[in-house]
Amino acid sequence: MISMSGSPAQRKAGGVGSARKSGRRNVYPIFVLPAAVFLVLLALYPFLNLIWMSLSDVSAVNIVRGGWPFVGFKNFDRLFHLSDFILSFRNTLIFVVIVVFVGMLGGLGAATLLQTKGKFPAVALGLMVFTWAMPPVVLGSLWKFLLLPGGLVNSIIRLMHLYPKGPLWLVQENLVLISVALVNSWAVVPFSALVYRAALVDIPIELLDAASVDGASKYQRFLLVKLPLLMPITLILTVLTVVYAFRSFDFIYVMTYGGPGVASTTLPFLSYRLSFINYKYALGAGVAVFTVLVVFVLAFVYVRATRRTEGM
Amino acid sequence: MRKVRGLEAREATPWSLVGVVVLILLYGIPLLWLVVTSLKDNRAIFANPGSIIFTPTFHAYAEIAQGGTLGQAALNSAIISIGTTLLTIGIGIPTAYGLDRSRGTFLTVGLGVLVLLQMIPQTATIIPLYRVLGAWRLLGTLPGVILADTALFLPFTVLVLRPFVGGLPRAIEEAASIDGASTWTTFIRIIVPLMSNGIATAASLVFILSWGEFLYAISILTNPATYPISALISQQISAYGTSWSGLMALAVVGSLPILLVFVVAQRRLASGLSLGAVK
Repeated sequence: MISMSGSPAQRKAGGVGSARKSGRRNVYPIFVLPAAVFLVLLALYPFLNLIWMSLSDVSAVNIVRGGWPFVGFKNFDRLFHLSDFILSFRNTLIFVVIVVFVGMLGGLGAATLLQTKGKFPAVALGLMVFTWAMPPVVLGSLWKFLLLPGGLVNSIIRLMHLYPKGPLWLVQENLVLISVALVNSWAVVPFSALVYRAALVDIPIELLDAASVDGASKYQRFLLVKLPLLMPITLILTVLTVVYAFRSFDFIYVMTYGGPGVASTTLPFLSYRLSFINYKYALGAGVAVFTVLVVFVLAFVYVRATRRTEGM
Repeated sequence: MRKVRGLEAREATPWSLVGVVVLILLYGIPLLWLVVTSLKDNRAIFANPGSIIFTPTFHAYAEIAQGGTLGQAALNSAIISIGTTLLTIGIGIPTAYGLDRSRGTFLTVGLGVLVLLQMIPQTATIIPLYRVLGAWRLLGTLPGVILADTALFLPFTVLVLRPFVGGLPRAIEEAASIDGASTWTTFIRIIVPLMSNGIATAASLVFILSWGEFLYAISILTNPATYPISALISQQISAYGTSWSGLMALAVVGSLPILLVFVVAQRRLASGLSLGAVK
């Protein structure tokens, strides 16, 4: 979607004035048919089922059998009065803000650094791409280990005499959410760095040269030339990162399991917990539907933003 | 603006060098520690998890290799991720082609639906998916996980593949049809080979994503003997207390195929990542 290749102008040129255009056009949707059938059965139907579930009385007794009694918005009414839900929603917002802020700024910084010549930037790029490719369960387990009370992170903190013992990253209720969010940001920086790097590469060198000739300093070139040109991609990346953070589950599952208490429970994890641990399927579905609604609003912003940049 | 490749590869300044070294440490040390810990004795880890001085041992690897669980899990992982990759790419290629060439409202709506589907949190779909797979008698089976994973990654795959079709001029199809080739023949014989770059990119990405997926695996597979490595890693931590060296050894083994894909396709991954959506 963040296509930088395949210029629209070139594609349009091929289509205009084509004699067979009208004859062929009707054929193409058939190519989409297998995916359409597949996604209707395994994505759309389950999703409608989820909505139905959130409006019904579903328990461990009738979950498989079906024939759930319709209860309207009762589940949502209960949810909005549930302290776990309110806390999870608050946690999700904090989590999203941290991941977006650190992930995007880190990505922009890393992308700028990776543009320099030499072997080191290439090594850094390789390490970052590899980290992105690693299974999230591996990265989560690894950071859980590094953040142990006597783990590597605290050893380094002690070594530098920053803090006598080092904090209990995943144990302290006021710290655990921030810790997991920072690890998640660390994992998302390679992605935003690559996207920013591709966008920086696309900036015509003539523009920067022209700015230099006009006497712009390095910082002025960054602030006044590069940054405005990076705005469209920043908008798309922001929405993508917000959605990524909003639906993040793997790291929380592996690192804290939502705990201690509900200190690191976000909406996707709450939905999982309600359904799979507490067997309150209808409430779990309600949380999921609520999350999806929020995400869809963001998706709407995303599609509009992409259309503007792609000029579709 | 698109054609000029203005990669401003600047000379390194002392400060940028410091920044790059910080990046290398931030991403290198955790990976190094993963390997180091897998070579430690559990007692040494318990005494001091942050120490660098120790006697390396392959004890943890021997431990996880015992009983054949690891081999079975690796096989399950391979079946799931290769199956998912083949199915996703197989359905994704014609979809990307059909969507791109249809154009107009069809394309806009199609892309919109894919973006929306891609954004549904995984936790939202498990329970209903569980019921669907149950109705088809696929619960507890690897094909069940493959179908679920395919549904999860298909929208992403199409979004990654589509620009590669868009880059192909329509004149190709016109020339082929003048030569008497049908739409289908043109697609199979000409379009698909021309998309090979994009297909390789998308396939590497889907392989990586499905290799790491664990939530569908632990939910759909009822018997832990059928778990892939990712699911095993996710469970070892929450259920059986923790043997850190064993867990890290499992994580190292579970990352080897990713390393392989990375070595083969590093450049593709770097470009594919900025093409597609988000993990």
